Amino acid sequence: MLAIEIAVAASLVVVLWRLYRGPTSWDRLLAYNAVSNRGILLLVLVGISEGRTVLLDVALVYGMLSFLGVVIVSQFLERGVRRL
Amino acid sequence: MIINGVSYALAAVGAVFVVIGTIGILRFRDVYSRLQASGVSDNAGLGLILIALVVFAGWQSTDWRVLLLLLLLLITNPIATHSIAKSAFTSRHAGMEDPS
Repeated sequence: MLAIEIAVAASLVVVLWRLYRGPTSWDRLLAYNAVSNRGILLLVLVGISEGRTVLLDVALVYGMLSFLGVVIVSQFLERGVRRL
Repeated sequence: MIINGVSYALAAVGAVFVVIGTIGILRFRDVYSRLQASGVSDNAGLGLILIALVVFAGWQSTDWRVLLLLLLLLITNPIATHSIAKSAFTSRHAGMEDPS
């Protein structure tokens, strides 16, 4: 399980580069979505393997909030300030 | 023991999917290509690793929460990907300035 945690954490750090320098805003939004997915995965992996079951609830709430953030920012980029 | 072997194999395949998705996000040259790499392989990797954690060490009391999280992610992740793709497509074709 430790190797899988290391692989997921390394891919999270690599995806942060696309978040830092995406050419458009949608690239940054996509990178944010990918980073939050990998963060949820890392929370669940650490929570199961260390025996801390609180992290599963944290991952559940984090999943809902990151979905809301992605949808709200993409609708904002599509419609603009006035018709949000 | 066999169950733990199956769990490790599923988690290894899921980690391979996650790493392939990362390479796709990093190396593709278009927004839609990156969206395709991210959406497909992230869903596959998340599903495989979460199923591996459900299978791991038999049935525990915390597995309901992992299954609930898997259901939530399988519902919300394609919606987020579709929302980003629709936003990029309509904003590019409305003649708007690129808000980067």
